[in-house]
Amino acid sequence: MPRFTDTIAALATARGTSAIALIRVSGPEAARVTGAIFGLVPPARRATHADYRDLAGATIDDALFTFFPAAGSYTGEDAVEISCHGNPFIVQKVLEDLFARGCRAAQPGEFTQRAFLNGRMDLSQAEAVADLIHARSDRALAAANQLLRGGLGRRIQDLTDRLLGILAQIEAQIDFPEEDLPAEDRESARKAITRLLADTNRLLATSHYGELLREGIRTVIVGAPNAGKSSLLNRLVGHERAIVSEEPGTTRDFIEERIMAGPHGLRLVDTAGLNPTPGAVEKLGVEKSHAQMAGADLILLVVELGAPLPDLPESAWSRFKPSRTLLVVNKCDLSRPQLDYSLPEGIPMVQVSAKTGLGIETLVEQMIIMAGQIQTIDSEDFTVINARHADALSHAMAGLNAAASQLAANGHSELVASDLRGTLAAYGEIVGRIDNEQMLDQLFAKFCIGK
Amino acid sequence: MGASTLLLTGNIDTIAQMSCNPAIGGQAKGQMVREIDALGGEMAVNADVTAIQFRLLNESKGAAVQSPRAQCDKKAYQFRLKHTLELQANLQVFQATVTGLIFKESKVIGCHTNLDIDFIGQTVIVTTGTFLRGLMHIGQNKNEGGRLGDFSAKSLSASFLEAGIKLERLKTGTPPRLSGRSIDFSKMVEQKGDANPTFFAFYDTREESPLFHVEQTGERRLGWAPGTEQVSCWMTHTSPETAKIVRSNLSKSAMYSGEIQGVGPRYCPSIEDKFVRFADKPRHLLFLEPEGRSTNEYYVNGLSTSLPFDVQVDMVRSVPGLEHALLLRPAYAVEYDFAHPTQLFPTLESKKVENLFFAGQINGTSGYEEAAGQGLVAGVNAVNKMRGTPPMLLRRHEGYLGVLIDDLVTKGTNEPYRMFTSRAEHRLLFNHGSAELRLIEHSKAHGLLSPARIRNIEAKREQITYWIEFLETNRTKNGSWADHIRREQHEKAALPEAFIRESSAVRDEVLYRVRYQGYLAREQRQIAKFADIEKIRLSPTLDYLSIRGLRRESALKLAEAKPMTLAQASRISGVNPADISILMVMLSSKDKQGD
Repeated sequence: MPRFTDTIAALATARGTSAIALIRVSGPEAARVTGAIFGLVPPARRATHADYRDLAGATIDDALFTFFPAAGSYTGEDAVEISCHGNPFIVQKVLEDLFARGCRAAQPGEFTQRAFLNGRMDLSQAEAVADLIHARSDRALAAANQLLRGGLGRRIQDLTDRLLGILAQIEAQIDFPEEDLPAEDRESARKAITRLLADTNRLLATSHYGELLREGIRTVIVGAPNAGKSSLLNRLVGHERAIVSEEPGTTRDFIEERIMAGPHGLRLVDTAGLNPTPGAVEKLGVEKSHAQMAGADLILLVVELGAPLPDLPESAWSRFKPSRTLLVVNKCDLSRPQLDYSLPEGIPMVQVSAKTGLGIETLVEQMIIMAGQIQTIDSEDFTVINARHADALSHAMAGLNAAASQLAANGHSELVASDLRGTLAAYGEIVGRIDNEQMLDQLFAKFCIGK
Repeated sequence: MGASTLLLTGNIDTIAQMSCNPAIGGQAKGQMVREIDALGGEMAVNADVTAIQFRLLNESKGAAVQSPRAQCDKKAYQFRLKHTLELQANLQVFQATVTGLIFKESKVIGCHTNLDIDFIGQTVIVTTGTFLRGLMHIGQNKNEGGRLGDFSAKSLSASFLEAGIKLERLKTGTPPRLSGRSIDFSKMVEQKGDANPTFFAFYDTREESPLFHVEQTGERRLGWAPGTEQVSCWMTHTSPETAKIVRSNLSKSAMYSGEIQGVGPRYCPSIEDKFVRFADKPRHLLFLEPEGRSTNEYYVNGLSTSLPFDVQVDMVRSVPGLEHALLLRPAYAVEYDFAHPTQLFPTLESKKVENLFFAGQINGTSGYEEAAGQGLVAGVNAVNKMRGTPPMLLRRHEGYLGVLIDDLVTKGTNEPYRMFTSRAEHRLLFNHGSAELRLIEHSKAHGLLSPARIRNIEAKREQITYWIEFLETNRTKNGSWADHIRREQHEKAALPEAFIRESSAVRDEVLYRVRYQGYLAREQRQIAKFADIEKIRLSPTLDYLSIRGLRRESALKLAEAKPMTLAQASRISGVNPADISILMVMLSSKDKQGD
């Protein structure tokens, strides 16, 4: 008989730093889940290449997976290892899908804990296992605390407070039916739940990190007219997308392309050339280019070998911060002298030829390094939603939806309360267990109880 | 259970005296009374037999939160229970005040009394109610005692302190009692009982034979019998004048003048508190509850106070219908000692002193039902302790009594603890009709019910299982019977003939489980998640501080709390899932080495 009844899943490799991500799944459901994802009975202990299809049937990635039956697995129960591309977006999609299929996010050190409890490790290793759980959970706790101090914590706290308020009203009617309470107002409860639902959904959908993952890092290519911006974009994308012409100013609107740079998704934006004396039509394009620069996560400043920097107003130069600017000297296949540029210190420079492909690999490597830095820098400032949070939030929404339909269908209050308590527990998975006393505090503060 | 038992009480004539309102049950409490009945307790039968009005609360909010409640004849309730004790085999009742405990090493072996008679026993259960250094306040007036007209137990507190048991003060209050002939009921709204009463006891002692309860011959009942009238309660409310009187006399209230140190309950505030904390609420509801059939005394529910007597008189007479009311007994607040219940194991045995058990208000609770439930658990476990048999541990998903005891011993309380349905995370499983099904394994394991009644419950359980299976698998139009029942919002879904002929107890439970199937399945899944750690027992002598990897903060908390299971450990605030993982690993390595 298996000791554990639930199936756990987690990313085993470090987040966002490798080209390949390894996701581990362990528990009684591992075989069934793997079979459903890859559409075949998983062969034992053999690495198999197949498309990862999510619950809706959409392909997330082409992946390599290996199924280990309990008898020979690390944890002593059925387990599967899935290798996919190390892009955080793909990893997040895979984890979300595994949770949707009934797996649960593993606690720090839980795979090792299972291995030990299932007799896979020597008794003498108990202390080492305890140390590992301790260390991992400390790290996880520190990371979680950092998140909660930021926007996510505040926003979940706000949602939680509002939910406690709604719940307190319903519980007061249930627990104190003989009291002189205001009449039960199901309509306003339903409206409040609907608002909570919208805000929870927004939190899930509009988190900056989520956007970064979904949309990719905004990488804006700027430079003087005809510096070869469009050629560079085409070279990075690998096919003709932007119209390349000898006539300056061909690119007036923006051309956007998504590419993968190692584990990172990038959204490349080609802009109109920064012409110091544009015509009326070009002028509009140049203004737009400045706006694009302002919203960029990463700027590729393209100059022609031997040509000077584009002529820009003083204010524009402040946008070129070393952490997010890369100077790309194009047309290095031409034999011209390299000029010295007076740019802020620390801006890295790469020589390439968009035409021949020379130096493009070095450019991509540099972009990977900078993209990695950008994701960590930004994630501290913004609400970060990872797969575990997203799972909790979608559970929260399920509870709110169920409660709203119970209210709409004139269902019993005890069922509405039960659904809302499910939501409260889901919020609690993000911000820490929410004690029932908090609901009672609201209840007694709001209503005069005591006949 | 057949254990030889001595009951010591300061006054035999006030056994089961209802100090506060003459009512049993209500929200969550009604379910608890049925659980007590399912575990062989006497409260349900005693309330049924002596009730003068029955009401089922919350009929519209769903079956799980429906609660039976009854007004009881105060004196009938008390005398019937006294008589029950007199007839109980193996029980000796003796009147004496306990003045101290007798310890030997770290165990209790008996007690001293005010009569200089000492009693020796293997286990001792302490149920001091509000009597432990009880101090009553009426304005500036102070009287020692746990209840008006009774004494207080003063010296016993010293015994607890000597044993290292920490005590603190709590406060509760009770409203004035009025003479019925001085009340103008024409100005009030009548609240009648239900035409078809819902009883607390699972087997009606008046009609059926499979009894375990003590038979009483020639019982002269003062309660309700089919065909007789129930007694009504009456509703009125405070007036603007009441508010004015209370506000202008606040400084004379014992609560507000700083005379009282104990913490009072938020759910049962004094009238002073209500007017101060909810200043914008113009009036407060009051209920007049009859104290019995053979008395004209009325209890004014909602008017608890510690104001001086003269102010009380003015205040009462400012209420519509009470203009000429005569007070028979004043309202008063009472302060008393309680021992933090986190000093107990879930068996209700003290962690400090072996063989010493606590139940009722000394554990910080309030309410007859909460006290009765604890008394039952403490009693059963005292016998188990003495015999070396496994304790009765009620779990949170088994019923309100499980929630009550876990809350008390794991979280503790800062105010008199009363049960609410919202305290139970698995509330949907606790419909009052399922109490004996939920608790039957405990009743069987500890011999709490007659074999006949056990057979009866098991037969009922089989019938329920059979019918759920039948309704889920047999088809009617558009799917199974069960689908049909779930689609039908109202009670009038057509049902198989044979099912309609089943007893209402079986029918109600089957319909409940079919209708709520999705929700109940979710509850069961949540319970299953904790089943693993619920089974892992922790020794009270476990040295947490020496466990490698455990955070020191958690180790200290665990060492203090001495949880009995890993699940209980996980509910201690500040103990996180990683600590539980580490405990699992370290315990399992110890177990294996011990094999």
